[in-house]
Amino acid sequence: MKNNSLPTDVEPAKTDPRIKLITAKIKKENYKPDALIEILHTAQNAYGYLPMNVLKFITKALHLPPSRVYSTVTFYHFFSLKSKGEHTCLVCTGTACYVKGAQLILNEIEKQFSLKPGQVSADNKLGVSVARCIGACGLAPAVVLDEEVHAKVSSEEIVNSINAKIAV
Amino acid sequence: MPKISVTIDDKKLDVDVGKTILEVCKENGIEILTMCHLKGLTDVGACRLCLVEIEGVNKLLSACTTKIAANMIIRTKTEKIKRYQRITSELFFAERNHVCSVCVANGKCDLQKLGYKTEMNHIRYPYLFPECNVDTSHPWYVLDHNRCIMCTRCVRACGEVEGAHNWNVMNRGYQVRIISDFDTPWGESVTCTSCGKCVHACPTGAIWPKAIVQGQLEKKPEIIGELVEKRKMNL
Repeated sequence: MKNNSLPTDVEPAKTDPRIKLITAKIKKENYKPDALIEILHTAQNAYGYLPMNVLKFITKALHLPPSRVYSTVTFYHFFSLKSKGEHTCLVCTGTACYVKGAQLILNEIEKQFSLKPGQVSADNKLGVSVARCIGACGLAPAVVLDEEVHAKVSSEEIVNSINAKIAV
Repeated sequence: MPKISVTIDDKKLDVDVGKTILEVCKENGIEILTMCHLKGLTDVGACRLCLVEIEGVNKLLSACTTKIAANMIIRTKTEKIKRYQRITSELFFAERNHVCSVCVANGKCDLQKLGYKTEMNHIRYPYLFPECNVDTSHPWYVLDHNRCIMCTRCVRACGEVEGAHNWNVMNRGYQVRIISDFDTPWGESVTCTSCGKCVHACPTGAIWPKAIVQGQLEKKPEIIGELVEKRKMNL
């Protein structure tokens, strides 16, 4: 199953600050192939996902078989091959948050932005995802907008916060 | 080499230390069903067919990855193990789209033989009927995911014996698939050397040479082990 949404084979520019960041990490890890996961972490944090050309760049730098890099990336749920959107909205659907109405929040988000969990808006501005539990059950229902946790939110509040984010 | 004594299926044996239970059983003519094991490759314990009962251990352990230890009392043919082997083989069939009648490996397939050996007469589990691709991009060989049982023998043959690392496994759980390079078509792989070791290592009709029809397929999985032995001799 080929993923056609992936960017083309263009080599990433050496001057790209994100590539510089990855190169620095690779050097810090001494080009050790075992440091693959750490380096992928850096790349994922820099780009928000793992573009195909960046994966090829890392594979080359570490002298690893491409299949091993790809199997590592697809094994861990943290890594993503598709863009998660410029802004991410992670709704916790753990037991506590579910009881406190996480589904209502998801329904409202779907109504307002027509996005289901796992989907990214057409303009790549917003991505919606769910997590089983983010470990903040005391704050239920919890939503993580970009990196910040919004505690005990109502669906209106979260829609307003998202609108403020994507308006920028 | 120091010897230890063990009991396998009520038979007392004196065996060398450092061997796996499977190796000991093979040397002493005790049959153990295997699928992912292939002589010459590292054992991974993936297929769960070689499970054995060991007295004092309350779970079944795979014979291919468990080293033999002194005074072990091992049973390989209990009712429980037979039941588990039958379940395992049924799950193999339920997981992908195995249709023997139209398969190139019909009659020469390890999975088919396994079905006979475990006396499988029907499958009690719902078929998953996953959507599987058939990769015909390689000039000589075909990879049919419908017939793959994820034994990873091709992956290990490619990495350990050929050293090409063309194959690997992507995703996890029921979504696992064998991939070449970045899930690129086999024919476009930059690492594949077209050596054909994976074709011989594959126990089913998942990897087979092109331009072959049912009945013509001839796989020689033992060449992998022979090759590894010969390389040791050269050293």
